[in-house]
Amino acid sequence: MSLTTAPPGSTAPSPTAPAGSAAPASRRWIYVVLHTAGRRVLAEPGGLLVSLVFYGLVVAVLAGLWSAAAEANGGTVAGYTAIALTWYVAVSEAATVSLNIRMIDDIGRDIGGGAVAVELLRPASVLGVRMVSELGRALPRLAGCLAAGTLLATATAGGPPRPAALALTVPSLVLALMCNIAAQHAFAASAFWLRDAGTAWFLYQKLVFVLGGMLIPLEVLPGWLGRAAALLPFRAMAYAPARLASGHMEPVLLLEQLGWLAALVVGAGLVFRAGQRRLQVVGG
Amino acid sequence: MTAGPRTRRTTRARTMFRGLGATLRNAFAEAGANRMALGSQMAVMALNDLVWVVFWILFFHHVGTVRGWDVELMLLLQATLTTTGGVALGVFANARRLGAMAVDGDLDAVLALPVPPLAYLLLRRIEPVHLGDIVFGVVLFTVAGHPTVARTAVFAGVVVAAVVLTTSFLVLTGSMAFFVGRSEASDLGFHGLLLLSSYPVDIFAGLAKLVLYTVIPAAFVATVPARLVDSFDAVDAAWLVATAIGFGVAGWATFTVGLRRYTSGAVWTRA
Repeated sequence: MSLTTAPPGSTAPSPTAPAGSAAPASRRWIYVVLHTAGRRVLAEPGGLLVSLVFYGLVVAVLAGLWSAAAEANGGTVAGYTAIALTWYVAVSEAATVSLNIRMIDDIGRDIGGGAVAVELLRPASVLGVRMVSELGRALPRLAGCLAAGTLLATATAGGPPRPAALALTVPSLVLALMCNIAAQHAFAASAFWLRDAGTAWFLYQKLVFVLGGMLIPLEVLPGWLGRAAALLPFRAMAYAPARLASGHMEPVLLLEQLGWLAALVVGAGLVFRAGQRRLQVVGG
Repeated sequence: MTAGPRTRRTTRARTMFRGLGATLRNAFAEAGANRMALGSQMAVMALNDLVWVVFWILFFHHVGTVRGWDVELMLLLQATLTTTGGVALGVFANARRLGAMAVDGDLDAVLALPVPPLAYLLLRRIEPVHLGDIVFGVVLFTVAGHPTVARTAVFAGVVVAAVVLTTSFLVLTGSMAFFVGRSEASDLGFHGLLLLSSYPVDIFAGLAKLVLYTVIPAAFVATVPARLVDSFDAVDAAWLVATAIGFGVAGWATFTVGLRRYTSGAVWTRA
């Protein structure tokens, strides 16, 4: 997987650098990794275009489905109008399609195959470099999806239900990506014990699909399932920005996302650290 | 005494079918070599399919009926789709990889074999995870599809037609890589067809609906088959069969013509 490659000219601190002088350099690697990963995505316009076309298809299908449902249900579904549902879908899909869909599986392969051992030699956190790199790859896709989604939703349904709430959507989307990346790394770390994260990948995806509100607004879930979804971090990954984009001015969702982000980063860090301690690589 | 041309043709055909049969047997043996892994992969895929069933139950529980579709018809659609997808992506697993193989120059080893390259490629690899789809689809039909002898026969028939259509469409889009030198169209064709097939086509209208019955034949992968199982119509059945044959011929022709443009990657190990 390419994301683990150190960018040329990286100025990550050397292992022998004094702790005091490493601070500015340690901040710089974040920028370098983020920038390089983003440029890699932009250097492959074919792949980016396919992602955008696929995103457009998904949004068109789901918006069509929910609009038909609203029409059959007296104009609204769980308090969402057809326009609100279209914007909901456009943003919930942007939050998930922007990420590498096989991220957990890829990380699992690197761990199971031992490739991650090489990364341990670097003077930077394995988890940190991987997470920043994934964010760098996702941001250009997110920008493209957001632009395409805005055009599509406006053309097929109408303008945003509440432009002020839409302004909160952009930071919420970035937080959603970060929460999702952290959680995926926590799930993928199961490969340190199981040697494979394929199962974790499938399960995780479905949790985001349903309990994260990617396919279905959480208000549509039956009571007990809705209450369970409210207690889990998955709603920070799709539901929060989508809820804002659908015209609900609820800034508290951003705070909730920040809280989950902190918890997920700490959780992923702990699981990775425990996993790295038991990593065994055969061969060289 | 030398054998006549007819005898030689028969012998060649027999050798070819024996070769393809052995290829398929090997592919199944390879997939089943690790039974624990096979079982767990199939179970995970069945769980994945179950989530979609839950989604549709929740959806229709909330909205009732949408443009003639209710939860029962939707579960029939899911049963046909998962069974079809399971066979097309599980048994003919290379269908979705043709584009990448053509671009990466991975076909060298296939060209030296005494069997038709497309048939060999399609049978060469089993994707165990999608075998779970087949089991799930059949179980879902048994549980929620009100199986009678007639409905089961129609179910089996429409699945065969839909498998031919899906596999042919993947071959067609994958073979475009021979001409354009990139495999993105193949990826998009695969994802687009599966995505659009997962929903009732009746939620679309106008040009979009026309496209789903023609250029991207998603309507014939699950919507039309599910309707046929629910309420058989000879004209719709004839359209399904004709579309499957049409895409079958188009896929084979595009691959055959495209293969003449294939450039070796000097790769002998991955085919």
